[in-house]
Amino acid sequence: MAKAFKYGAHGITGTIHAPERKLLRELFNDVILMLEDRAEVHQLPEDIDPLYALTGMRPESMDLPAVADPALARLLPDASEDPVVAAEHRRLTEADLITTKIGQLREAQFLMETDKIVLKKDNAQRFAQALNDVRLVLSERLEIRNEDDAARVSEVLDAAEVQSPDEYLALVYNLVSWIQETLINALMDAEL
Amino acid sequence: MTAMPDVLPEIETVATNEKPWRLIVWNDPVNLMSYVSYVFRSYFGFSKEKAEQLMLQVHHDGFCMVRSGSREAIESDVQAMHGFGLNATMTQGA
Repeated sequence: MAKAFKYGAHGITGTIHAPERKLLRELFNDVILMLEDRAEVHQLPEDIDPLYALTGMRPESMDLPAVADPALARLLPDASEDPVVAAEHRRLTEADLITTKIGQLREAQFLMETDKIVLKKDNAQRFAQALNDVRLVLSERLEIRNEDDAARVSEVLDAAEVQSPDEYLALVYNLVSWIQETLINALMDAEL
Repeated sequence: MTAMPDVLPEIETVATNEKPWRLIVWNDPVNLMSYVSYVFRSYFGFSKEKAEQLMLQVHHDGFCMVRSGSREAIESDVQAMHGFGLNATMTQGA
């Protein structure tokens, strides 16, 4: 079982054992693949003005398609209830957001190499962001839509009693939530 | 040494009546309360008390207007909130 993250003389430290690290690595990887898939939509046609290719900007006439997968939509939500504002924001910022998220998730994957994890504040925050992205994706698969759903999922804590794939997913979600919560508490302590 | 020209070019100022944009953070059943509070503290530099109060407002009212400003400023806030995985939107004040 993992040990809670704590803030102390050596920074923010915690322990995650091999089976949990393997699981987390796979989860980070799943989210990276979803984001990489979406990044392909951003490819500009080859015959476009080279200025766009150079700057990575998208021409105004080329809004990005809506995000169809609801789990991906949790990671890349609309920036406004106004569809015109939302489309423009997506066109101008989504590529950066994808790059940032993939970077955080890769960094988190690399952390999963050793039992003991030692973090500075900056790394700890990016690790918390990566864990949060995993939770967002899992929550969509678990159909957590309101506080009641969240409460139902949070009751699945005993691995010995897990019988269905959904219960297993709930157990994984609760593990990731627990790690994130202890990490945030350590970050809060470090903030003082 | 060079002297400054006697006549400085006139600086054109454009009065803007554009209404300020607002950053709204929405409640969702996934993001941990401690995490939302942490994000408010670390990204906006709010005090612990203010961050906690805004987080509770999101939790109880379903949303909270975190701050307002120019379109550019609020756009980059929204992007940062999405980076943290918070559900945030921007809207222009009435």
